[in-house]
Amino acid sequence: MNNRNRKTTALLLAAGLTAMAALSGCSGGKSAGNVATGNNGAAGEGGSGEPVTITYYTIDSEDRTFVEKLIPDFEKEHPNIQVKVEKAPYEQFDSKLQTLIAGGKSPDVTSHYGYGGFAEYYNKDMLLDLTDLIKEDGFKAEDYHIPDNLMKIYTVKDRTYGIPVNMYVTLMLYNKDMFDAAKLSYPPSDYEDKSWTFDKMVEEAKKMTLVSDDIAKTQYGVDFTWAERDMRPLYFGAEPYSEDTWSNGGVPSETHFDSPEVIAAYQKLFDLIFKDKVSPTSEWSKSVAGQNGDPFVAGKIGMSIGGSWNLAGANDFPFKIGVAAVPWGGNDKVRSTLFVDPLMILKDSKHPKEAFEWIKYLVTTEVQEKSIELSGGNPPVNTEAAEAYYKHFEGIDPQDVKKVYEGAVKYGFESYNHLITNYSQINDMFINELQPVETGHKTLEEVMPVIQKKVTEIIKR
Amino acid sequence: MYMFISPWLVGFLVFALYPILSSLYYSFTDYDIIHPPKFIGLANYMEMFHNELFWKSVTVTLRYTLVSVPIQLLLGLGFALLLHQTIPLRGFFRTAMYFPSMVSGVAMSLLWYWIFNPQIGLFNYMLSWFGIHGPSWLMNPDTALYALIIMSFWTAGSGMILFLAGLQGVPASLIEAANLDGAGRFRIFLNITLPMISPVLLFQLIMGLIDSFQVFTQAFVMTQGGPNYSTWFYVYNLYTSAFKEYRAGYSSALAWVLLIVVMIFTAIIMKLSNRYVHYEGGGRR
Amino acid sequence: MSIVRTANHRPAASAHRRRIDPVKAASFITLLITTFLMLLPLFFMVSTSLKSKKEMLKFPPTFLPESWAWSNYRDIFDTLQFGTLYKNSLIIAVLTVIGTLISSGLVAYGFARFRGRGNQFLFVLVLSTMMLPYPAIMIPQFVLFSHMNWIDTFLPLIVPAFFGSAYNIFLLRQFFTTLPEELFDAGRIDGCGELRMWWTIALPLSAPALATVAIFAFIYSWNDLLTPVLYLSSSEKFTLPVGMASLTSSRFRIPPWHLLMVASVLAMLPIVTLFALAQKQFVEGIVLTGIK
Repeated sequence: MNNRNRKTTALLLAAGLTAMAALSGCSGGKSAGNVATGNNGAAGEGGSGEPVTITYYTIDSEDRTFVEKLIPDFEKEHPNIQVKVEKAPYEQFDSKLQTLIAGGKSPDVTSHYGYGGFAEYYNKDMLLDLTDLIKEDGFKAEDYHIPDNLMKIYTVKDRTYGIPVNMYVTLMLYNKDMFDAAKLSYPPSDYEDKSWTFDKMVEEAKKMTLVSDDIAKTQYGVDFTWAERDMRPLYFGAEPYSEDTWSNGGVPSETHFDSPEVIAAYQKLFDLIFKDKVSPTSEWSKSVAGQNGDPFVAGKIGMSIGGSWNLAGANDFPFKIGVAAVPWGGNDKVRSTLFVDPLMILKDSKHPKEAFEWIKYLVTTEVQEKSIELSGGNPPVNTEAAEAYYKHFEGIDPQDVKKVYEGAVKYGFESYNHLITNYSQINDMFINELQPVETGHKTLEEVMPVIQKKVTEIIKR
Repeated sequence: MYMFISPWLVGFLVFALYPILSSLYYSFTDYDIIHPPKFIGLANYMEMFHNELFWKSVTVTLRYTLVSVPIQLLLGLGFALLLHQTIPLRGFFRTAMYFPSMVSGVAMSLLWYWIFNPQIGLFNYMLSWFGIHGPSWLMNPDTALYALIIMSFWTAGSGMILFLAGLQGVPASLIEAANLDGAGRFRIFLNITLPMISPVLLFQLIMGLIDSFQVFTQAFVMTQGGPNYSTWFYVYNLYTSAFKEYRAGYSSALAWVLLIVVMIFTAIIMKLSNRYVHYEGGGRR
Repeated sequence: MSIVRTANHRPAASAHRRRIDPVKAASFITLLITTFLMLLPLFFMVSTSLKSKKEMLKFPPTFLPESWAWSNYRDIFDTLQFGTLYKNSLIIAVLTVIGTLISSGLVAYGFARFRGRGNQFLFVLVLSTMMLPYPAIMIPQFVLFSHMNWIDTFLPLIVPAFFGSAYNIFLLRQFFTTLPEELFDAGRIDGCGELRMWWTIALPLSAPALATVAIFAFIYSWNDLLTPVLYLSSSEKFTLPVGMASLTSSRFRIPPWHLLMVASVLAMLPIVTLFALAQKQFVEGIVLTGIK
């Protein structure tokens, strides 16, 4: 008797579950499709006076979660909106976001803080077109001191999908102690100084390089980690992706990774390691700096070309540092990479209007200024707030930071990782395929045709 | 008697059935997570056969499994036998052996980065005592997988405590009797101990197989599948397919192929083990 | 029938046994060497946890801290809501262990004692649930729990344990099968029902296995990162691994490895305690008497 009873319960349960499975399948599908109605719904709810909760999704780290401290003031100004911060560690950022969306719990506002960049989100159709919202709201970039060329980065075919909030650039950090020891004068921070070239940099690097059997004594003149791997040819003026990539949302019609120009450009970079011997191998860097560290921090590198985020830890470095312009390398238009993070509204947001209020709040001069302190040195896009950012770093001349930043914007190109579709795959592929070249086991002539073929495949996906 | 297994049955129906069936369904669809899945039949399964990374991940995973599972088993059993004796500091030794299994993943990976550091790492330092110039381990495609295998030996303590628990079930009276009969240590081990702990051995073999086919964290945290795809494990491939490539359909198909393969391996082991594994209670059939 | 638990080693060591047994001596030396290797992580963790932020940047790294930064152990409480994280993790882990012990013990007994055809099929099903990798069911499972309104609660992390975990069911089943059939025959003659035999015979005799399950379940829950990251969204509900991951999540900052090691050292304390308690179960052997 007992047995039979249990069997029926089990059967009932199974039936219930099947029904549930069917149900959730439906709602999952609907939540992805009901975008158009989102706008109206939000407006209706906003009017009823009941507070609306929006979710801001970000990385769970101090330099991102500081926004929680901005919420009380925002909610005071907007009594009808409540902001909830949802967060994940960097490694799980993408998978949690996708799971939330699939589970019908999409956040309202986020940025591309995971592996994937803007173009990936855009091409997967995850983003809300903000153009009408902006028009309705009367939002003007200049009111928030956001330069027009930055606003354009996240505009595709005249439709805007993101409002810039932070801007990192590529710059040069140099170890003053090493320059002093080699009796060299410091490199310039002025981008218009024509004498500051790649070749000059190599010359100076040679004077600081010291390779010894004792790893504690070894030091290198320059570490040239300009942008992501696939973008580096651009520094020398070679363009691996076709021009249409930048206007169609990041789907290149053609790529040229096996072209002589691109290969020559890479050759120049690998020459730093293998011919001029002024740069460390990636193995040496990892040995000295650990998994994701930077050997510059250990005081073993004279000049480091890298993201301006390296400045954030500057106050703790056990040596004196300065900032300089990225030298001219043969490309008259581009010398720096920009890493502009946009705030975006996800398509499944039920309260896009309120979400937009939150975005606007985060780019006001006052909040952008406050964010520099709270985050410990995140660079604002708001040029008015930027003045405070330039002064943020102990022992570094604010004038230098300012010149380097302004030069970078003038000679800058947005990082490819934000602009090209399926980028996380491209990047993974690049890291793995270029590895034998980095260790000197294969030549560029062998590897680049393979990369060209694989990039083509990935983009078609 | 279904009374005993009913908790699992209910749990299975409530918590597991829907996710399992969903993933089965996804495996026949083109599903990018953002849009609703579209049925595409067997296309995902067909794709695997000419997907380079799929085959790469299969080779990597099989190599890892073939080397690490047997050695792990032997180490676990070896330590357990050593520590089953009455020996000074036994409690301390047991805790020490199990220690690495208690440490959280991030701390361990940082530690291993330091140990395998080609320039200043402990491992190459110790090799240099024997005049061996160590490789660059995690940064070299030829050695990275072996570095991860060596790492896995540090968790042999888990296997050890399972064997220890198993050894407690071997009646001391049996061993004493054999001792009186003049049987040597090795004979006692082979004829009494081993059969008595064979169910635990079987458990560890099967779980070792299931786990090593699903190695993920090490590749995810320490090597990101590299260098040059040398640690591109099966489940790492599956994870990146879903969450980096937005291809949850293909990823689910990978999961089901894995399930079937592991199931076949398990069935073979189970069948073979019927001959060797010794179960006391016959149970009612 | 009676079951007596005694220590495995006998105090009555005769005089000739005093001589050093070469096998044991060799074992001891082997153990000493391996223990040294096994304890390296502990040494490394503790040493790093006591270095200052400045010292962490040094290359080559120092072996022992130059100045012992004990203040790190206070700083971790300022950097993370360490107390809250710890408490949450403890609640989840303890409940998970309780749930696992009860349910897996029960289910495993069912599978060990009754090996009918249907049972065998179900057992294969148990095993197969372990063969599907977690990333494959992550999304549908989230959908399921979200329909149950369990998001941002501890429930998805605890409740499933009360319905048995496949791994531990399999483990305990293997142990239950080693129990001599005669015991159960005797129990049956004494008029015990199956449930009673489970409680009075199977469980006490499998104490070492149950201790193992308790340790495994605790560690699994204690170190789990992915599930809490998915299911918890309020900071005050976060668990220890989630908090620790936040220390290394910034791509733009140098991670405070020394604080991470402080957290790791402190995170080990409950596991070490639990292991020390459970260790007893492995020391005491089981002697069965009164069986004919």
